[in-house]
Amino acid sequence: MLNFAIRRFGLALLILFVAVTVMFLMIRAVPGDPVQIMLGPRATPELQARLTAELALDQPIWRQLVIFYTNLVQGDLGIDVFSGRSVTEIVFQQLPHTLWLILAAITWSAALGIGIGAYAAAHPNTLIDRITAAISVSFVAAPAFVVALLSLLIFAVHLQWFPAIGAGEGFWGRLNHLVLPAFAIGLSWVGYIARLVRASMLEVMGENHVRTARAFGINERRVVLVYALRIAILPVVTVIGVGMGFLLSSAVFAEIVFARPGLGKLVIDSITTRNYPIVMGSVLISTALFVISTALADLINAWLDPRARAAK
Amino acid sequence: MNKSRSELGQIIRGIARDPLGLMGLIIVGTIVFCAIFAAWIVPYDPVAMNIQARLEGPSLAHPLGTDQLGRDTFSRVIMGGQVALKVALPAVFGAMAIGLTLGMIAGYGPKWLDNLLMLLFDTIRSFPTVMFALAVVALVGPSLQTVVFVVMATSIPTYGRVARTQTLTLRNSEFILAERSMGASMARILGVHMLPNIVGVLAVLAAMDIPTVIALEAGLSFLGLGVKPPTPSWGALLKDGYALIRQTPWLVVGGGLPIILATLGFTFLGESLRDVVDPKLRKQR
Repeated sequence: MLNFAIRRFGLALLILFVAVTVMFLMIRAVPGDPVQIMLGPRATPELQARLTAELALDQPIWRQLVIFYTNLVQGDLGIDVFSGRSVTEIVFQQLPHTLWLILAAITWSAALGIGIGAYAAAHPNTLIDRITAAISVSFVAAPAFVVALLSLLIFAVHLQWFPAIGAGEGFWGRLNHLVLPAFAIGLSWVGYIARLVRASMLEVMGENHVRTARAFGINERRVVLVYALRIAILPVVTVIGVGMGFLLSSAVFAEIVFARPGLGKLVIDSITTRNYPIVMGSVLISTALFVISTALADLINAWLDPRARAAK
Repeated sequence: MNKSRSELGQIIRGIARDPLGLMGLIIVGTIVFCAIFAAWIVPYDPVAMNIQARLEGPSLAHPLGTDQLGRDTFSRVIMGGQVALKVALPAVFGAMAIGLTLGMIAGYGPKWLDNLLMLLFDTIRSFPTVMFALAVVALVGPSLQTVVFVVMATSIPTYGRVARTQTLTLRNSEFILAERSMGASMARILGVHMLPNIVGVLAVLAAMDIPTVIALEAGLSFLGLGVKPPTPSWGALLKDGYALIRQTPWLVVGGGLPIILATLGFTFLGESLRDVVDPKLRKQR
């Protein structure tokens, strides 16, 4: 297990290294003066000189890369030239808002998705199974930002059940402001997880230990909920790990639509003001988050199911 | 030729027999038809302004109302379909072609090249798609080409991985071994014998990928980072609709419904195509 963990995290680090280097080279590969691009119309000679020194642009490219990485491992993503604050600080200030949103979305969609999937698998090929299958596909198909806009229109503007903008104050205020965005980005996951759990349930239901449990006369409800679901839930763990990336993407839209603070809002605002160091820093942090969560999901999976360790 | 035509007919008949597949076929057919003949269908010029008729609700003259500049929303929705397909089709086919080539090289070539390509695929997949798109847009500026590029870059790994797995499976099958022992060239083995066995699976993936691409294009345009105004894209409609959400619901409805419909249509079609082309795939997912 330890061996697997070391190998898996080694791979994660390697991927992150390549990804960050690609991003670094991408900026240098864009035609034109990177300082000019980053500063845009607001470039003053003073700011230009400062940024050139900071990015070590007068040095050869490999030196620039070394300097960049030296700063990076110290948690230094550079200074926002306009406000003078550290990029790391700015990004980490916004990050919690996005993480709460993602957590809320995962929680409700996984709970409902597992429920629907398990129910459908326990009653395969009945009318209800078919209806849930059709609904699941439709949910999967609904793009998060369209759902966000439509739910904003219906539940916030017309019915006025939920607030339309901001993140709210205090526990209940925050929770109230989370409902619509979490609904919007979680909806497609309900369908996805339901289908996954149904397929995996049907497989598990045919396995020996379930048949044995039935043969012992344990009642059906207990067989389904305890003996089958426990194992059928495994793939969901992996999917949630990978899902972090998708949810991060959807969260960008939800934050814009509901005017919430967060990583997505920060990136979009920074693009409009052409504040490139912040865009770069946010993309880097969110990529790291995604890579780590995928690796963690693999680890949890390996811990729950020893067969997965051997397969890798 | 004759054989492939009857095969295609068989596939379409197979899809039409499945109720969801039939629905997908009808929706996608309608969208494609509207996109091709958009110029003849639209009742108004989609970019023509009419300040007297601003923000009207649905009426006989304007089935989906008008926007803040008095442009006919229905006409913009129809034209938006054309834009959506103009982005989605080249992006998906481009990604499929490149992914197929790289995947087959990874599966058939030397081990070190395989490892290198897999690392490359894993790296691309490690960027959250929208974040990657935003980084690229911030660097090179928003345009239709940028959207196509981003979509292609981010979906190549999916096709590449599937093509690689298929190639690895086929590599040791008897008919390939026989071909190799007779001294066939690598190009012949890959192009003539393996390709036809891989393309079907990838086509299914592509059909399911189109909605994701349409949603991404619309999403970027919604953020003002996709196709530029006054090009009528569904995302641009939603952007206007969002700004005016308290004045009129019709722009959000007009921009949102076609995206949901298109996504549903292509997803139903893709699922049904998968079951018809390769029933085994159903289990793998």
